[in-house]
Amino acid sequence: MSNRYAIKFSKDGYIKYTSHLDLLRMFKRAFKKTGLMLKYSQGYNPHPKMGFAQPLSLGYSGKSELIEFETVMPHTTGEIMEKMRKEMPEGIELISCFELPENIKSLAADADAAEYKIWIPTSLSEDVLKKEMDRYLNMTEIVALKRQKKTKKMEPVNIRPMIRSLEINKVGDFAMIKALLDCGSRSNCSPELVISSFCSHCGIETPRYDMEVERTNIFFVNKLQY
Amino acid sequence: MKFDYKLEKLLKRVEKPGRYIGGEINSALKDPAKVDVNIAFAFPDLYEIGMSYLGMQILYNVLNKKDNIYCQRVFAPAPDMEELMRQEGVPLFTLETKTPINEMDFVGFTLQYEMSYTTVLNMMDLGNIPLCSRDRGEDLPIIAAGGPCAYNPEPLADFIDIFVIGDGENALPDLLDKYAQCKKAGMSKIEFLKEACRMEGIYVPSFYEPEYNPDGTIKKICKLYDEAPASVLRAILPDTESADFPVNPLIPIIEAVHDRAVVETFRGCTRGCRFCQAGIIYRPVRERSKDTVIKLAKAQLANTGHDELSLLSLSTSDYSCFEELAGELIDYTKKENVSLSLPSLRIDKFAFDVLNKIQEYKKSGLTYAPEAGTQRLRDVINKGVTDDDIFNSIEQALILGWKHIKLYFMIGLPTETYDDLDGIADIAKRIIDLNYKINGPKGGRFNVTVSVSNFVPKADTPFQWAAQNTAAEFEEKHNYLARKLRIKGVTFNYHDNTTSAYEAVFARGDRRTGKLLLEAHKAGARLDGWTEYFRPDAWERAFEASGISRDFYTTRERTFDEVLPWDIIDCGVSKKYLINEAKKALDEKTTRDCRLGCTGCGINRYVKCSMDGALRGEAHTDNE
Ligand code: SF4
Repeated sequence: MSNRYAIKFSKDGYIKYTSHLDLLRMFKRAFKKTGLMLKYSQGYNPHPKMGFAQPLSLGYSGKSELIEFETVMPHTTGEIMEKMRKEMPEGIELISCFELPENIKSLAADADAAEYKIWIPTSLSEDVLKKEMDRYLNMTEIVALKRQKKTKKMEPVNIRPMIRSLEINKVGDFAMIKALLDCGSRSNCSPELVISSFCSHCGIETPRYDMEVERTNIFFVNKLQY
Repeated sequence: MKFDYKLEKLLKRVEKPGRYIGGEINSALKDPAKVDVNIAFAFPDLYEIGMSYLGMQILYNVLNKKDNIYCQRVFAPAPDMEELMRQEGVPLFTLETKTPINEMDFVGFTLQYEMSYTTVLNMMDLGNIPLCSRDRGEDLPIIAAGGPCAYNPEPLADFIDIFVIGDGENALPDLLDKYAQCKKAGMSKIEFLKEACRMEGIYVPSFYEPEYNPDGTIKKICKLYDEAPASVLRAILPDTESADFPVNPLIPIIEAVHDRAVVETFRGCTRGCRFCQAGIIYRPVRERSKDTVIKLAKAQLANTGHDELSLLSLSTSDYSCFEELAGELIDYTKKENVSLSLPSLRIDKFAFDVLNKIQEYKKSGLTYAPEAGTQRLRDVINKGVTDDDIFNSIEQALILGWKHIKLYFMIGLPTETYDDLDGIADIAKRIIDLNYKINGPKGGRFNVTVSVSNFVPKADTPFQWAAQNTAAEFEEKHNYLARKLRIKGVTFNYHDNTTSAYEAVFARGDRRTGKLLLEAHKAGARLDGWTEYFRPDAWERAFEASGISRDFYTTRERTFDEVLPWDIIDCGVSKKYLINEAKKALDEKTTRDCRLGCTGCGINRYVKCSMDGALRGEAHTDNE
């Protein structure tokens, strides 16, 4: 038995304004309180074997977030759900708990793509939005400024290859973009890059703080879904 | 809880929105419409600081256990949030229900340090509450304040309706119950204040008015309401053992300065350091039993899932059965994978045994606070530490492999000369030499940090009459020490001179200094304790506009017969005792720790003191 599990949960309401590190501390404390003992890594600075499939940016809500962990003892997923559910703050809803397949390394290593819903208040009509989206997607290069991991500098990158699909509709006063983007250690495209480049492409001047972003799903390599 | 769209837009634009959202585990959820009294507990600093403060947890717990009271929290917004709130017209709100604070019955500020006073004003302003008490009508909340700085309430006397002086566990709920009664009886604010001013620990500043001499000192304090007490004795909790202590504390939702289980082992201190206000105003020593401390610690850890436990008191090792307590907690925390933190430990043989068992300590270094550089000056301040104590402890630490020693000193203490400063450098130098001797000429990576703070005379201490050094004197001393401490392996830190002068103005300020606060607030001062937010220019303008003389409050020595602004408050320790201590200081005479025999501070006039001679008969070595 490997005692590897994952919990699927949602994050919404005021708590979306906490960072993924805050959320990680919250989960760590919840595990400690429930007595579900987590396995610790070896080495100089041991830490519990626990982490998100993909960290969620501060300010985003999440419909289908995943945290994976390894326990010292085996537990039923029912027991884990029941105990952990009691320790969650308002805004964190636990959806399900499952055992991780033996043959995968980790969810974090396998994350491949993520789906988002982006809500942008705008006066543009659906027709215009759809036309603009076609033009946007037909470009061979979409340049956005991305912070480089190593140098921490903002560098222009072509994000077009990282965009798998974009679909736009008008819902009330909002343009609603459904985006499927690369996500994970191999290739990662933040929705922020799509938002800034698409808005400047079609001249939307809505301030960023009037928009909402929700991550609706995370997909994994080999078409796995949890 | 309604999700406020306007607030949400603000949250998207600030650096740490988690500061303003509430929703912490163990936060109290009640219907404000269904209680008799709504109070906002206000901490005049950022969330991360306020949430680390045990006093808030204690009072939050005590108040919310009562069905008729709802206590919510509010902290100072960071400047980015403040700017947006002003721009968008969002008033300061409570975290629990996002209610504007001007809709509360009470707003209660805790005063932990003088440099938070402008933040108190700024928070009222952000809550659309007129700053001066006399400008607030019946529909606005009663503004209350408590905490250690309330022992000299006068700088805030124009802004605060009611001060709660002393232990708040009983005094605050009693006051709110009284308010509920008065409200039900349809009484006005002033009628309530008249009732309240006769309660334990309650000071209503508007019932008094100081009269001044031509030289600016106070002639007398006149009563404006006949029934108001001539002197306000602080509220004293008779014992802590039976006092309520939180076992389900609020858990900070974003990272706070401290995020751990905390148990207060005792309140008060018997040592009698003459510069220390806490050592006087929390008398007498009131301990929780060992079993209670352990029970509380276990309950808090089990209820929170914290992975760190800390004990809190003014001097951890003075707890009467500290060795047994430490032993049991070390075993328990080891078993539970919890790290144990024992602050302000007296460094003796036992401490090393303990510290050796707690791994983390060596990483952070050994802390030692001789406070003064020579035996003479340590006698003046009654810090019962000898050179032998210092070097024996440090030697022991070096042998055990400590690589970092942190030393704390105060400069500008009464009677200090440059010989005393030389003493500071000597101690640092001797430690470096000691390390060479023990660990060889290479000595390995080894470092001594010397941190020096500026002495600020505080109310209710034997040094309350003393002069503070001028800014120029402090600067000269800093420069002198910086030269003297240019020693390989020694790092020298010191505090800013400007803020310690402001601190000193308010620590002993009278009612007139309120004008200075008001001007500083108008000029934009707030969060003055933060180097990055502190605005010396605003304060300069405030001094000019208010006409307040800094030197009158800071560098002027008072005579024993001068009427002091805080004379109206009786901290429980007699003025006679303080005067006697002040005289002994000048004679370089020490006063024993009163566990060796009562030294007559006078607190036992009001409450049973169990410390008198608690250690008498035991072989006592006066070890610090
Ligand atoms: S009454 Fe005596 S024993 Fe008690 S605190 Fe005061 S000096 Fe110490």
